[in-house]
Parts: sequence; structure tokens; C-alpha cells
Amino acid sequence: MEDYQPNDEVSFNADEASNYVKECIENVIGGVDYNQNKVNQWTASIVEHSLTQLVKQGKPYKYIVNCAVMQKSGAGLHTANSCYWDTTTDGNCTVRWENRTMYCVVCVFAVAVTL
Amino acid sequence: MDEQSAEETAFVVDDVSNIIKDAVESTIGSSTYQHNRVNQWTSSVVETSLNQLTKLGKPFKYIVTCVILQKNGAGLHTASSCFWDNTVDGSCTVRWENKTMYCIVSIFGLAL
Repeated sequence: MEDYQPNDEVSFNADEASNYVKECIENVIGGVDYNQNKVNQWTASIVEHSLTQLVKQGKPYKYIVNCAVMQKSGAGLHTANSCYWDTTTDGNCTVRWENRTMYCVVCVFAVAVTL
Repeated sequence: MDEQSAEETAFVVDDVSNIIKDAVESTIGSSTYQHNRVNQWTSSVVETSLNQLTKLGKPFKYIVTCVILQKNGAGLHTASSCFWDNTVDGSCTVRWENKTMYCIVSIFGLAL
């Protein structure tokens, strides 16, 4: 007769996600220089590992992980995101990382699944 | 009846792709890369695209991402990975360029 009460409100923890992503980036490209032959592997690896870590948390979310790696050569790069969703339950987080030869920008979007 | 509702609630890549192309053309169609205007441009592209998408009236949540890169010889690689329902969710990426810059717009549509 009791209605199902969820333990706590479902919300996206951006700090936690941010930490997972930073770890993934460090693991993949932590001490290396920009290498055109390897960049494809790196971006694929970063998004896959980040996604795996997020899904392991077992929260009722769909995820989109986007990673851009850019060589440091003086070019200008601008990105913008716009989202049409439920601001109470959905969220995103962006991690910017750089070393001597490249920039890496990873965006995570989490959209709540309504059961 | 079932086919009709499936069509109305599916993520149609072609429609979305056309909406984005129009949004990009109308914002930066004839411009050259200008550092102090790029912020406005990226914001404008995502807002215009999102407005047009929501006008379609489909039961979707949307995420629109726009990247503008100056043509300078630098290498840029991007990758996306998505954890969702393959049968109803979808994405579409539009690549556009002119003489001085590249513009890459990605749309992700998640069914409600």
C-alpha cells in the first residue's frame, strides 16, 4: 500500500564526475607530447574510460561524453553548449586540461532516466 | 497508428542536419575568423539550433555543442561516447568550413 519512495533526490554530482574524468585524462595522455598518429586512440580511450567509470556509479542516467584534443599551435578554439532538459535532475561538467604540447577538453552530459 | 507515432517520436538525422546547417550559415556564413566575435558566434549557433529543434515538438531532450576552430594548421581530434537507449536516442554531427575557420556542431537527442 505504500508508494515507492526513492532514498534521495536524483541529481548529477558534477565534482565527482570531474574527478573521474581528470583521472582518465591523466592516465591516457598524462606525460606525452602531441602525436598525430596516436590522437585518435587517445580521444577514444578517454571517452570510453570516462564513460565506464560514470556508468559504474549505477545511477539512473544516460551519459554523453565528448573529448577534444588540440595541438598547441596558436590557433583559436571556441566551444559552446546549449541543453534543453530538466534542470532539476540533469547536469553537465566540463574538464579543461593541458600540457606543453596540447589542450584536452572533456564534456560530460548526464540526462536522468525517468522510470 | 503505430507507424505514425513512431515517425513522430524518432530522431530524424536529416531534419536535424538541415536545421543546423541553416543556423550555421545564418550566423557565420560569410564571416572571417575574428577572435573577439567568436564567443557570440558559438552562442548564437547553439541557441538558434536549439530553438529550431524544440519547435519540432518531439518528446526529446537535446544537447547541442558547437566548436569553432581557426584555420591555422593545428590538429584537432574529437570523440564522443554515449550511454543511452540505441533504439530511441540519436546524434548527428555537422561539419562546416569556410576559408578561415572550421565549425563543428553536434546534436544529441535523448527520448523522454
